[in-house]
Amino acid sequence: MAAPTADVYLSGEASEAAELPLFASDLVCVIAPSRRALIQIEAEPRPLIPQRPLQPGEQYRFHFDMTKCIGCKCCVVACNEQNGNPAPINWRRVGELEGGHYPNVQRYHLSMGCNHCLEPSCLIGCPVEAYHKDPKTGVVIHDAEVCIGCQYCTWNCSYGVPRYNPERGVVGKCDLCHNRLADGMAPACASACPEGAIQVEIVDIEQWRRDYLSANAPGLPAAGDSVSTTRITLPDNLFPDTGRVDTQRIVPEEPHWPLVFMLVLTQLSVGALAALWGLEWTKTPLVLSKLAALALAGAGLAMASLHLGRPIYAWRALKGLRRSWLSREVLTLSIFAGLAAIYAAGLPAGLLAVVAGFAGVLCSARIYMVAARPAWNSRYTLLDFFSTALMLGPMLVLSLEAHGLDPSARLWLTRAAAAGAACQLLTQALRFLWLARSEQFELRASALLLSGRLRRAFLIRLALLIALLIASLTSLSLSYPVAFGLALVGEWMGRWLFFVSVVPKNIAAAFTRSGRAA
Amino acid sequence: MSIAYLTSAYLKRAIGLDTLQQDYAYARGETTGYTSAKKIPDRWVSTTCGYCSVGCGIEIGVKHGRAVASRPLASHPVNRGKLCPKGLAEHYIIEAETRAKYPLLRKNGKLMRVGWDEALGTMVARFREIQLHHGAQALGVLSTGQLVTEEFYTLGKLVQLGFGTNNYDGNTTLCMASAVSGYKISFGSDGPPGCYEDLEKADVILLVGANIADNHPILCQYLDANPRKTVIVADPRVSKTAMMADLHLPLKPRSDLALANGIAHILIRHGLIDRAYIDRHTTGFEELARFLEAYSPDRVSQITGLSEELLYKTAFLYGRARAAFIGWTMGVNHSTLGTATVNALCNLSLLTAQIGRPGAGPFSITGQCNAMGTREAGFTSGMPGYRKFDNAEDRRELAGLWGIDEARLPWKRGLAYPDIIEAALAGKIRGLWIIATNPLVSYPNQDALRQALSGLEFLVVQDGYHPTPTTELADLVLPAAIWGEKEGTYTNSERRVSKVNRAVAPPGEALADFDIFLALAQELGCREKLYPGWRSVEDAFNEWRRVSRGRLCDYSGISYESLAEKGAIQWPCVEGGSPEPRLYSDGRFPTPDGRAKLVATHWAPFPEQPGREFPLILNTGRTVEHWHTRTKTREAPILEHLSPRAWLEMNPRDAKLLGLRSHDLVDVVSQRGRVHAVELRLTEITAPGQVFMPFHFFETNVNEVTQSAFDPVSREPNYKQCAVRVERRERHARTDA
Repeated sequence: MAAPTADVYLSGEASEAAELPLFASDLVCVIAPSRRALIQIEAEPRPLIPQRPLQPGEQYRFHFDMTKCIGCKCCVVACNEQNGNPAPINWRRVGELEGGHYPNVQRYHLSMGCNHCLEPSCLIGCPVEAYHKDPKTGVVIHDAEVCIGCQYCTWNCSYGVPRYNPERGVVGKCDLCHNRLADGMAPACASACPEGAIQVEIVDIEQWRRDYLSANAPGLPAAGDSVSTTRITLPDNLFPDTGRVDTQRIVPEEPHWPLVFMLVLTQLSVGALAALWGLEWTKTPLVLSKLAALALAGAGLAMASLHLGRPIYAWRALKGLRRSWLSREVLTLSIFAGLAAIYAAGLPAGLLAVVAGFAGVLCSARIYMVAARPAWNSRYTLLDFFSTALMLGPMLVLSLEAHGLDPSARLWLTRAAAAGAACQLLTQALRFLWLARSEQFELRASALLLSGRLRRAFLIRLALLIALLIASLTSLSLSYPVAFGLALVGEWMGRWLFFVSVVPKNIAAAFTRSGRAA
Repeated sequence: MSIAYLTSAYLKRAIGLDTLQQDYAYARGETTGYTSAKKIPDRWVSTTCGYCSVGCGIEIGVKHGRAVASRPLASHPVNRGKLCPKGLAEHYIIEAETRAKYPLLRKNGKLMRVGWDEALGTMVARFREIQLHHGAQALGVLSTGQLVTEEFYTLGKLVQLGFGTNNYDGNTTLCMASAVSGYKISFGSDGPPGCYEDLEKADVILLVGANIADNHPILCQYLDANPRKTVIVADPRVSKTAMMADLHLPLKPRSDLALANGIAHILIRHGLIDRAYIDRHTTGFEELARFLEAYSPDRVSQITGLSEELLYKTAFLYGRARAAFIGWTMGVNHSTLGTATVNALCNLSLLTAQIGRPGAGPFSITGQCNAMGTREAGFTSGMPGYRKFDNAEDRRELAGLWGIDEARLPWKRGLAYPDIIEAALAGKIRGLWIIATNPLVSYPNQDALRQALSGLEFLVVQDGYHPTPTTELADLVLPAAIWGEKEGTYTNSERRVSKVNRAVAPPGEALADFDIFLALAQELGCREKLYPGWRSVEDAFNEWRRVSRGRLCDYSGISYESLAEKGAIQWPCVEGGSPEPRLYSDGRFPTPDGRAKLVATHWAPFPEQPGREFPLILNTGRTVEHWHTRTKTREAPILEHLSPRAWLEMNPRDAKLLGLRSHDLVDVVSQRGRVHAVELRLTEITAPGQVFMPFHFFETNVNEVTQSAFDPVSREPNYKQCAVRVERRERHARTDA
């Protein structure tokens, strides 16, 4: 566009100038495309909550208007006050988005509570049925009284909505202030927003299931994981590169120590039992190993309860069998432990125990194979867990029973363990390549953690596997207990890496976060 | 709590019994609806927010004598049922652990708890001794914009007439002094001419150096309610507010004066001015028009970095508006050209007759909750009621009202804030009393400040909090009641007076500043003379009403009763009359000839240009979660969680040259000092060649590097630009994608 030439205006009187047609059309070019929605402001602000009751087939949901949000975070403060939550527990969060190049920059904010999904993954995973989707309002409600603090829901949600409160030992989440809504009052976030950017509205469930495109926004995981119901009004003409500002800060996740130990111990126990069952042809009693396998299974299960925010209610974890892999894991591993006891008592329950154990390891792996945690959500998780069983089980038997076994049995066990180590090595190597080559942010970020901050642990883990493999193939005289100890440490390390190197899907966050600066 | 109890609580928690059920219980409160039970108060106390000058009505929820909740006062005309995040969490600042609870006197190098008698006795004795040996002017007083108007009025008399020094200024000089000076020169008096409603009524809103989305978020509501508006934002940084604009002017740092002159040039050249108004109500037009010839669009385009097209667009949008509003904040004020820039902006309003009617006016959006109160009722850069030190009529009138000899009124303003610091450095100021401000975070060039304060014989710091970086240096700390613990009034940016009320008792032995001032007057032996028969802040308010009667800032029609009845009232409000939403509606200005002045002010580059050694221009500012030096907001856990530390914004193009990555810890270095280990944020919202850092954080204090350069008239520091370089201190762990 050419700059206006001076002669257009020269000698113009005020009255004439006022008639100049210039700029009426030009103006559009310079208006930030983003704010145009604001210029055509609605004559009357939309009400914050629906003005009519729900009809069958409808539910409540949030509407967030990104064109209105100024990133003041009033919604976050109001939510924390409404729910009496401590500062680090935010049921509503505001993320920052940025795109373009100076001075043609777009910066937006994304304020998100719970999306009250049509297929709530938190609810599906919960082993104690602490969640329910209210049949009347569609609100996904979490009951803190029922919750045992297993935190499985926090892994299942692609938006990071359920938050574990360590102070109380339970999870909590946004419930759309449905109790306020029932009284005709707006949720705390919506009523605090000075810009009217948050509203509650009614959605036709079937229609939304067919087309939920407007649940998507830059800085949000794809809505399809759980069919989020939150509708987001996006600015027109968003720059294609507008996205999260927090992607340069990839922080290791919680290690969940009890689970690190529990997983390896139960897998070891299953592997050992399988090896023992495999050695039945030798007609040796191998009582010590059987007792050890049983003890390890028990220890693993006991460990698991330490992970809970409310260990005393661990028994409730069996309630969710219909949906939750965690419930199934608890059931199968408990059956396994029971059968292992019978087997240790000398009764012929070997095959049954092995089947239950395999089912247990399978269930364990399935817990982690969730869309919200992409680096876990692959067959490598299955391979990883079964390789641990295959490698450690025979090694345990070897270290406990070396003298009582004939050389052919020892060879058989050594080969099994070597096969396990090889599988594990291959699994880890291929998995790393898969992560590193991925186009998906979360997967690539996991690879960056493994090759960056966590590199040393990752390399040691691989080195241990290689060393064990070489030792088993070259008949290097490594004592069995030492080899077993090294392998066990390696697998614990591996499981620790498994937990800390996962980068979950989440909503965009702010640039600065609590905790250490860098 | 007994060990047995704690152990059993720990065991219960460890096995998973819900020991905190009550803490997380909900209930339906009569006044709150369904909410966290612990946040349902016994009663709500209505008051006015104590952070910024938007002046929102707020209610404090009190439960068992403790402040447990904050919520907007629905009936208040300013905030319309909303608050910003600071306001929503304001109750947390009251029960902070860092509240100052007892007077502390430094003995053998250590601050020791003393009684009030000893504290005030020592203070008066030490100050008297200093004044005896070095003259009355050897005592300096630095106050604030945080007290209630009644306290400012009381303090002014105490300092000027009681202690007898005029070396008295407020931290408002770090904040809006340029707006005050600019208004005084252009219109003959301080006093923002417009009101918030104008944001709703204007069809063009020009915001210059004002990031209201971060700093005055509640004002954004007024923009939202305006269906016709075109918003133009001039800011070198793509601030949150720039994102609200229809037209963003990404001008070069400190070229705003050239921009204003350039707009005026186009307005005059193309006849977009109101000659009739200019002829009737202003002086200096011919001179200004000649002067502005030098500000042709091509030159202004060079200075500002904005295209000529953009300049024409801005000028034509502004010039053709039916009602055009200009708002500014620290981007304009924090400058060696602050006053001049305010004059240039006022010129735009005057040339187009965009003043004194709905939607129009040059409007300084002020900073602190009661900066306005100290401007009107204080006794620093002028005498109470916008009276001038050198105006015989003003002097006679005030002396008469107070029943004192006119000669006791100072003949001129004493030293301004930076000059008090300079005088301390030079050994001329020996005793200093700092009230409710934290210069060890907020003052530019901290190194010079520390030197100045270390040379003092006696430093008194009166504050609601201890320790703060400033109280730690004090010889005497006086613990003061804060917002929520005392009564009075605040006046907001649009001259609206709102009541401030007491919800809870102050902690320990802390006293309201008002009571401290009266006790000091008692100690000085002048209480009855200065404050005849005063018992409460209302007595101060009523005297102030009399003193302001007939002045531009006429409070005479405002009383505690009418405030209780109507909520909040704008001045001028003549007794028996109704409040005026706008000043100068009749085109009469408080100058000798009744006309406003068109002022020709030259643009000049900012004082410290980047060079080889310090190649980047540092800009400073705020974030929505924090208030000023964070003394209060760091005590609100949620705000601290949302914004836990400072950051430095840098454009990725600069970072590439320096080999820096986001989240690296960097040092910011200027000629004067170094800020250690700031988290780097690479972002396109800051221009190449510029960096930006918020100033709230004492841990990484940007004022270690800012400059001792001040506006020649207002004495406001040039916080917004100085030359720095950025050095990497610690590499962010390599996990970037």
